Amino acid sequence: MNWRIVRVLVAKDLTLFFRNRYFALITGLAVFAYAGIYFAMPASVDEKLAIGLYAPQLPPVLEELQQEEGLTIEQAESEEALKDAVIEGRLEAGIILSAEAIQKLLGGQKARIELYFPSDAPDEFKEAIITLVRELAYLQSGQVLTVEVSEQVLGRDMLGNQIPPRDRMLPLFAVFIIMAETLGLASLISEEVEGRTVTALMVTPVNVRGFFAAKGVSGVGLAFLQAALLMAVTGGLNQQPVILLLALLLGACLATGVGFLMAALGKDLMSVMAWGIPVMLILSVPAFGVLLPGTVSDWIKVIPSYYLSDTVHLSANFGLGWDDVWQNLLILLGFNAVIISLGIAALRRKLQ
Amino acid sequence: MTADAIVAKNLTYSYGQLLAVDHVSFTVPEGEILGFLGPNGAGKSTTVKMLTGQLRPREGRATLLGMDVGHNTERVQARIGVCFETTNLYERMSAEENLNLFARLFAVADFDAGALLKRVGLDGRGRDRVEGYSKGMKQRLMVARALVNRPDILFLDEPTEGLDPTSSETICNIILEERNRGATVFLTTHDMMEADQLSDRVAFINKGQVVALDTPHNLKQQYGKRALKAEVAKPDGGLETREIILDRPETVAAVRELFSNEQVVTIHSEEASLEDIFIRITGRGLGG
Repeated sequence: MNWRIVRVLVAKDLTLFFRNRYFALITGLAVFAYAGIYFAMPASVDEKLAIGLYAPQLPPVLEELQQEEGLTIEQAESEEALKDAVIEGRLEAGIILSAEAIQKLLGGQKARIELYFPSDAPDEFKEAIITLVRELAYLQSGQVLTVEVSEQVLGRDMLGNQIPPRDRMLPLFAVFIIMAETLGLASLISEEVEGRTVTALMVTPVNVRGFFAAKGVSGVGLAFLQAALLMAVTGGLNQQPVILLLALLLGACLATGVGFLMAALGKDLMSVMAWGIPVMLILSVPAFGVLLPGTVSDWIKVIPSYYLSDTVHLSANFGLGWDDVWQNLLILLGFNAVIISLGIAALRRKLQ
Repeated sequence: MTADAIVAKNLTYSYGQLLAVDHVSFTVPEGEILGFLGPNGAGKSTTVKMLTGQLRPREGRATLLGMDVGHNTERVQARIGVCFETTNLYERMSAEENLNLFARLFAVADFDAGALLKRVGLDGRGRDRVEGYSKGMKQRLMVARALVNRPDILFLDEPTEGLDPTSSETICNIILEERNRGATVFLTTHDMMEADQLSDRVAFINKGQVVALDTPHNLKQQYGKRALKAEVAKPDGGLETREIILDRPETVAAVRELFSNEQVVTIHSEEASLEDIFIRITGRGLGG
């Protein structure tokens, strides 16, 4: 491998990349835009649950209710004021406890209690509030619950230390930035093939290996530097920086392999973009899984970028070390070997 | 004795079932311009690709400057310059940047892009991006790029096709200058006039085979018809054409009779063109 030639080709690739207005703009703006979004989002999680109560006569168990950790009870002046607060989103739920209902409860009779929820309240949340009200009614009527609940948190107790949404979004931003470079690299290669400039290179001392090496260095360099810069700016490298930089480097290699494949599949620049956008979206899905836990199932592990998103999430947000992420990194390395080999083989075939 | 710069021995290549080049053999001595002529699809470009290391022959071998192309591809490529038929420049780079890039790839020390651009008539436009160039300017830049490393062998594929007379003349002059410098030129062209003017020898390729290879003069001698063509006045005031074949015993008498009995208006020698010879040898024209 002639590294002098590789260096010349990389300099040429970077010149051409930044002379493509679209990719130059995307590359320049992406870091600023994602960092801007990150800092615009709240840095902490509001763990309080605010519910409203309208009761002409306050029930004796109210004090007991107010002692629940993380629960805020606001007393409304009227039934209408309570409804408005729920509709406007200031309260997560509203409870109407009429004087008649309290009298019936105190008398041990069956009482009707009205609950208000916003239209987008999940069923699980509604069930939890209904259960809470039932228990209170039980206590109000003077009966003692026959169960004793023991609460134990498995794993790290995040109460009071939840991950803010912006930190959950970090893996998504990093994956987006890296995968966007897939398109940049694929279009760069496609332009070389379409414009036959690669043929001009191949009758000089440049050989196919040198050509691939230069494209690889350009692709990995662009993707890695942007992702690393974003992570550094947002404080994402404060914990486990070595692991995170390695994960980003492997992610950049993955993007390069995918870029080679797309450049080989696409007949021209337009078809490269047509292939590239769905591929980029698929590779971003695992990062959405980090952002919205529970929305994806185990099949997501067949997407190579899962191991990048998961590692970034675990190490940047929880500070987990080698013991917890080495398997992810190893699998990502394996995926890289396969995808880069396939990409080079397909592209070599196309060039010849 | 001049050494052979290019030696092609039984070069053969096929695309699937299509035999593009069929056991082609020839040599080109150092400092010679060889015109490689043939219609579209005759195998010209495939031969050039094998000679320049872009394609590996299915059979046979190519030797350039004493080195086997298949085994010393990079060393050979460091000493050749190739100008392609289709424009393949980095359009978002300037002419200077294009030339400097290739000079760095060839590791040319003290490369002067400005001087080379001046030589091809592009001085003053070196810093403009190539995307704004006309076809003629791009073609001249392609020729300049092929000269960056002062090549020992210059491969030119249709270098003047579709160009204005000024651009064509510039390129033809450069070809002759390169030959005078000592470079060997392998010129692929459709243009018979150009080949006739520039080439020391010409090779005709047809259906993947070299069917003739000699100097234009010898080919004309061998295959051409040498004749005199005269226009004579008719009694009614019109003109009539007469042809007298040269190199025959009766030629002198025929010429004397023409001038004695006819009113000769014009007379000139008639020489077969390379195209006539190509048609005579292959039964098809160069146009396709």
